Amino acid sequence: MWPSEQDNHHGSSNNRAASSSSSSRTSPSSTTSTLLPRTPKRRTMEEVWRDISLCSLHHQERQLTPMTHHQRHSPATSPSFRATMLQDFLAGPLNRPHAVPPAAADDVTRPPSSTTPLTQLSLSPTSLEIQLMGSDAHANSSSSGHNASFISPAFSGNMRRPPSPIGLFSFCSKEAVSENPSASCDRRHKRMIKNRESAARSRARKQAYMNELELEVAQLLEENSRLRKELEELRSAMAAKHPKRNAVQRSSTAPF
Amino acid sequence: MSRDPLILGHVVGDVLDPFARSVSLGVTYKNRLVINGSEFKPSAVVDKPLVQVGGDDLRIFYTLVMVDPDAPNPSDPTLREYLHWLVTDIPATTNASFGREIVCYECPRPASGIHRVVLVLLRQIGRETVFTPEMRHNFSTRRFAMEHYLVPVAATYYNCQREAGTGGRRFIRDDRC
Repeated sequence: MWPSEQDNHHGSSNNRAASSSSSSRTSPSSTTSTLLPRTPKRRTMEEVWRDISLCSLHHQERQLTPMTHHQRHSPATSPSFRATMLQDFLAGPLNRPHAVPPAAADDVTRPPSSTTPLTQLSLSPTSLEIQLMGSDAHANSSSSGHNASFISPAFSGNMRRPPSPIGLFSFCSKEAVSENPSASCDRRHKRMIKNRESAARSRARKQAYMNELELEVAQLLEENSRLRKELEELRSAMAAKHPKRNAVQRSSTAPF
Repeated sequence: MSRDPLILGHVVGDVLDPFARSVSLGVTYKNRLVINGSEFKPSAVVDKPLVQVGGDDLRIFYTLVMVDPDAPNPSDPTLREYLHWLVTDIPATTNASFGREIVCYECPRPASGIHRVVLVLLRQIGRETVFTPEMRHNFSTRRFAMEHYLVPVAATYYNCQREAGTGGRRFIRDDRC
C-alpha cells in the first residue's frame, strides 16, 4: 500500500514526506543515499519510507504491541509477544536492537525515527559500525538517549543483554509463562480450600446463632410459663383472702 | 454434636476450654442485649457496653476479657487473639464500671471478614491479682487465665464485620461479573 501510493503520487507524497520528516531525517537520508542513489534528498526520503514499510512493517507491528502492552493492555496476549521478543533476543544480538530500541524509546510519536537504525542495519549488515555511529548521532539528535545507550552496549562486542526494562520484563514474564500452569493450579487449589473454610465458618455461624435463638426461645417460654403459673397462684391466693374483705362489715360504731 | 452456641461457634475451641457456666453475664450495647452469635456493626459497638455480672457474694471478684480471635482476618488469624478490653476486680452482682479498667476499651474495627468478638468472665482468686499484658495482639486468654489463676465462669460472643460489609464477601458483587 505504501509503495503503490508513493509510486502514484510522486510530487504530493514527496512534499508530504519532506514536510513530515524534519531535520532528523537528514543524517539517515544522507547515509541511505549511498546505497540507493537518487537525485535530491526527497527521493532518498521516499526510499527510506519505502524501506521502512517493506522491511520493517512486521517489525513495527511487533514493536507497537509491546508499547501498547506498556500502556497496560490485557496481559493475556502480551506473554506471547514477550516470549517471541525474548527468543529473538536470544537468537542473536543483531535481532535484539530491532525490537528493543523502539520500545525503550517510549515515545509513540516517533516510530519512524526509531526504526531508521533498524533499516540501516537491515540494509547493510556488514557495515554495522558505521551505520551505528550514524544511528547514534541520529538518536542523540532526536533526543532519545535510550537508543544510543541501548545500541552501544549491545554492540560493544559482548553477548550480554543491555539492562533494558523490556528485556528484564520479558525475561520475567517468560518465566511466569512457563510456570503458569502449575502456579495457577496451586492458586486455584488454595482458593478452593479458603472458600471451603469460609463456607464451613459461615455454616457454623448460622448453626450457632440458630441454636442460641432456640435456646433463648425455650428459656423465655419456660420463664413465661413459670411466671404465669406464679401469677395464677398469687391470684388464687388473693381471691381466697378477698371474700372476707368484700363483705361489708361494721368495724367500728359511732357513739352518736 | 453439642448444641451449645459457644461450642458451635468454636469459641470454646479457639479461645477457651470447656467450662461450666456458673455466673450470669449480661452485656448490653445501647439497650441491645448481646446474645451469642448476634450481629453488631462497628457503629453499634463504639462505646463500651454495660456489663452486668451475676453471682451473690460481693467479696468475689471477676475479670472481664474482650478479645477478637479472628484478627486480622478469620481465614488468616495471625494476630489471634486481639485484646480489646480488660477490666479487673469487678465485685459480684455489680457491673464493669465498678472494676479497674487496665486495658481501655477499643472499638472493634474489622477490616475484612466476619469476626467473633468474645467476652469472657473469669473469677479471680483474690483482689489485685491481675496485671496488665504487654501487647494487645497475639493475646491468649488461656495463657492469661493460667498465669493469673483465673477460672472462666461465663462467656458470650457476637459477630462484627466492617460497616459497609456485605456478609463476608470481599467485594460487593464486582467479582461476580
